[in-house]
Amino acid sequence: MILSEAEARDLTKRILRLSQAESCTVSVSGEERRHVRVAQNMATTNGSPSSISISVTSNYGKKSGSASGSDLSDDALAELVTASENTAKLAPENPEFMPPLGPQKYAPGAGFSPVTQATTSSQLASALQPVLQQAQAKNLQASGFLEIGTSFSCIATSNGLFAYDQSTDVLHTITARTPDGTGSGWAGTTHHDFSKLDVPAMGATAMDKAVKSQKPTRLAPGKYTVILEPSAVADLVGILIGGEFDQRAADEGRSFATKKGGGSLLGETVFGKNVTIFSDPADAVVPGGIYSDDGQPAVRTAWIEDGVLKNLQCGRYWAQKTKKQPVPGPTTLTMVGGTTSTADMIKQTKKGLLITRFWYIREVDPQTVLLTGLTRDGVFLIEHGEITQPVWNFRFNESPVAMLNKVIAMGPSVRAYGDESGGMPLSVPTLLVDEFTLSSVSDAV
Amino acid sequence: MGGCACATLLPSTLFLGMSDARAIEAADKLDLPAKMRLADMALNVAKAQGASYADFRLCRYQTEYLEAKEHRLQTSATGTSVGFAVRVLVDGTWGYASSPLATEVEVKKATAHAIEVAKASQPLQLRKFELETLTSYQDRWDMPMKNDPFLVPVDEKIDKLLSINEAAMKAGADYATASFAFVREEKFFASSVGSRIQQTRVRTMPETEVTVVDKATGKFASRAGLCAPRGSGYDYILGYNFLAEAAKSAEQAREKLKAKSIAPGQYDLVLDPTHLWLTIHESVGHPTELDRALGWEANFAGTTFCTPDKLGKLKYGSHLMNIVADRSQEGGLSTVGYDDDGVSWIGNEGFPIVKDGLFVNYQMAIGQAQLIGQKTSNGCAFADGWGSFPIQRMPNVSLQPNPKKCSLEDLFADVKHGIYIMGNGSWSIDQQRHNFQFGGQLFYEIKNGKLGGMLRDVAYQGSTVEFWNAMDGLGDQSTYFLGGAPNCGKGQPEQVAPVSHGAVPARFRQINVLNTERKDVA
Repeated sequence: MILSEAEARDLTKRILRLSQAESCTVSVSGEERRHVRVAQNMATTNGSPSSISISVTSNYGKKSGSASGSDLSDDALAELVTASENTAKLAPENPEFMPPLGPQKYAPGAGFSPVTQATTSSQLASALQPVLQQAQAKNLQASGFLEIGTSFSCIATSNGLFAYDQSTDVLHTITARTPDGTGSGWAGTTHHDFSKLDVPAMGATAMDKAVKSQKPTRLAPGKYTVILEPSAVADLVGILIGGEFDQRAADEGRSFATKKGGGSLLGETVFGKNVTIFSDPADAVVPGGIYSDDGQPAVRTAWIEDGVLKNLQCGRYWAQKTKKQPVPGPTTLTMVGGTTSTADMIKQTKKGLLITRFWYIREVDPQTVLLTGLTRDGVFLIEHGEITQPVWNFRFNESPVAMLNKVIAMGPSVRAYGDESGGMPLSVPTLLVDEFTLSSVSDAV
Repeated sequence: MGGCACATLLPSTLFLGMSDARAIEAADKLDLPAKMRLADMALNVAKAQGASYADFRLCRYQTEYLEAKEHRLQTSATGTSVGFAVRVLVDGTWGYASSPLATEVEVKKATAHAIEVAKASQPLQLRKFELETLTSYQDRWDMPMKNDPFLVPVDEKIDKLLSINEAAMKAGADYATASFAFVREEKFFASSVGSRIQQTRVRTMPETEVTVVDKATGKFASRAGLCAPRGSGYDYILGYNFLAEAAKSAEQAREKLKAKSIAPGQYDLVLDPTHLWLTIHESVGHPTELDRALGWEANFAGTTFCTPDKLGKLKYGSHLMNIVADRSQEGGLSTVGYDDDGVSWIGNEGFPIVKDGLFVNYQMAIGQAQLIGQKTSNGCAFADGWGSFPIQRMPNVSLQPNPKKCSLEDLFADVKHGIYIMGNGSWSIDQQRHNFQFGGQLFYEIKNGKLGGMLRDVAYQGSTVEFWNAMDGLGDQSTYFLGGAPNCGKGQPEQVAPVSHGAVPARFRQINVLNTERKDVA
């Protein structure tokens, strides 16, 4: 269910008027989605769910409590507010309580497409049909997911804050496999505008990789020069910035960004000098949400600039305690790219591997952000500047902190999607990386 | 984190989309005849519009999440979510739609919407879905429970959490987190074959973790609690000694900082059931899902090395290996009276997946069995919310105890050079379930049959079939432990399922162990 800004504003005003607490925050969000799912060149589960939610947080002094539900009627809203107030009254004081924010200034959202909002289930099926027919004709097995959604969110506080954001999103991933089970290729991306999605091209990429990756050769594990395609980079960068860039954790001594002896590495050169990563909610390629967490405006934020650790996420309480400015988390991420094409990266590689994407990434050691995971859907051996053969998948054990110190060359930054890094819009380049640790061979295709 | 066969535990995953309070009120007021009327309406509309099969699920989820950090309460949140879904099979194509409003108007609208989705997808239906003959049930099933967690005063639960952290901090922890999450799941299911089923179950999910920091060296270490989530009431919380574990966790986290770093190589491993349940989940539970074998998860969760030609032939593990699927197991997170296809587990004591080391059965939902020459589903469907499509999900999948007497110490006794691993650290496995890597919470050296000092930087890698065939020791019933995860991920859109795994300690010979310390970072 989608509420317009005027409807959302009216709803939050009605809720805040009902509040008896010393302060109150109201959040409302809703979405309408459609998806078609296919496997083995045919439809499997197809649907169209929708939802709406209201959350009320009430505060008495430093006591807080939340209750969730949703209803536009006065009686139901009153029940919801009362429930949150009763929860708050039973809570002990939280010494880290921060009062709700007052009015803020927000940039307009840039991630809404009326085309996406108007897309039907038939249009989704029609977009996929030629790809499935091609796969069938080529004796390949295509599986995929094509989903569109429209969503809104708003936040309002008893101190006068109101923010509203509406956006659309598209997710498409497609896997093609050879019938003998030895080849698999993949393509995937997100966008906010369905009309910008090139479904046939993505299908062609997945099918091409499936054919080229079949009957792989077994290669010994070890440290390899690798070309990481954007999906693989998106996962590692998304996990690093989204999950590990935390000021409090660094100050408290439990982060890779902790300085030996105390304090954080903020301001120090922690990454290679060719690495710059920022978030900008108004970015044309990857527009993000206009507010973050408790209603702080999402603003352009440099996380890494020329290798220097520029910012870590910092909540309002920790900022106040440490006399810093709060730094809201990112709603979008861009890694600045370079000009080297993938073809040129291959040409300059004596021996290395081209990696399509990663799978099942988990943190092994938070101290060093050591991650493990596997390559998937296409790994190719490069010898003397040419791709020579497909190879079996590998398990990697590598830290993105270390990886971002070993970047040799970068392609242009492009919108990318990784299954492992969540739904945040990401723009990253293809990377040529030295000494990437591949610790064992996987028999999976 | 998406794309994960067993997602990381995030509080947000415990809370489904909160629905319309009017709907909650409406559903709360719906008596059984009213639910029946809505179901009849949906099923009749579906049939009139061409559905050969349809089902209607009306669900209510009640949630509570409490989290304490050190000496403060960080979160106290309650929620209720009510809604329904209509699923239709039209000319061999599935479609579904859902709504948070359980009203006649919305039921008609959603049913028509589900039909529209199915018809829109028909051009992609290369092969029509066909269902086996389904049995009709009229029943009510309620999970047995002593203490309803939603009736326990919230301040009592908050005090408990704060006391856990207090115990950890007193014992030397620098940071401590403790949380309780509770879910009550109420489902009404009706299908076009005539089933009308009501069932209720509750999940209780505690989590704890302590962290210690050595500022001089810049090192830190954490120790997560070993308490598993369960399909139980608050009596489970009352019966677990959180305070003792919190204090011990702080001491063990401190000990980790000074523990000996492992030398990589081949070791005999004795895996505690607090650890082994997850290895079972990843390397036995997921590979034996039939939808993976059929290629239906190829684009996301992956396929499996357990292809249908291996059924009844693959020597999955040693003769000691007996794996049973059971959705009637007491305390199991996957335990139900009926699955979300309406298949009964009443009086069903489960089925073997691996028998004396041989792969003998898949897990199945409806519409799958006939594709491998079998007759019916074995009741392994689940939808994680009222707005989700039921897909094949894992039942409680457990390693059976050794019928012969065997203690943990007996397993150590025959190890000259090995490692004992407790609890779960990191976990990862490839998309066909061959290559895995697991860490843990606690690692101890085993030397000449005796348990030695603590180790650190340990992870082991293996390949599933080779690994399970390397098992040569198994604990008896007295060593049994029921672990589990509340949030196993699969499907597109991704769904999270709660599932338990029983295990006993087991010994594995000559497994590859690596050292995970990186000296080139920080």
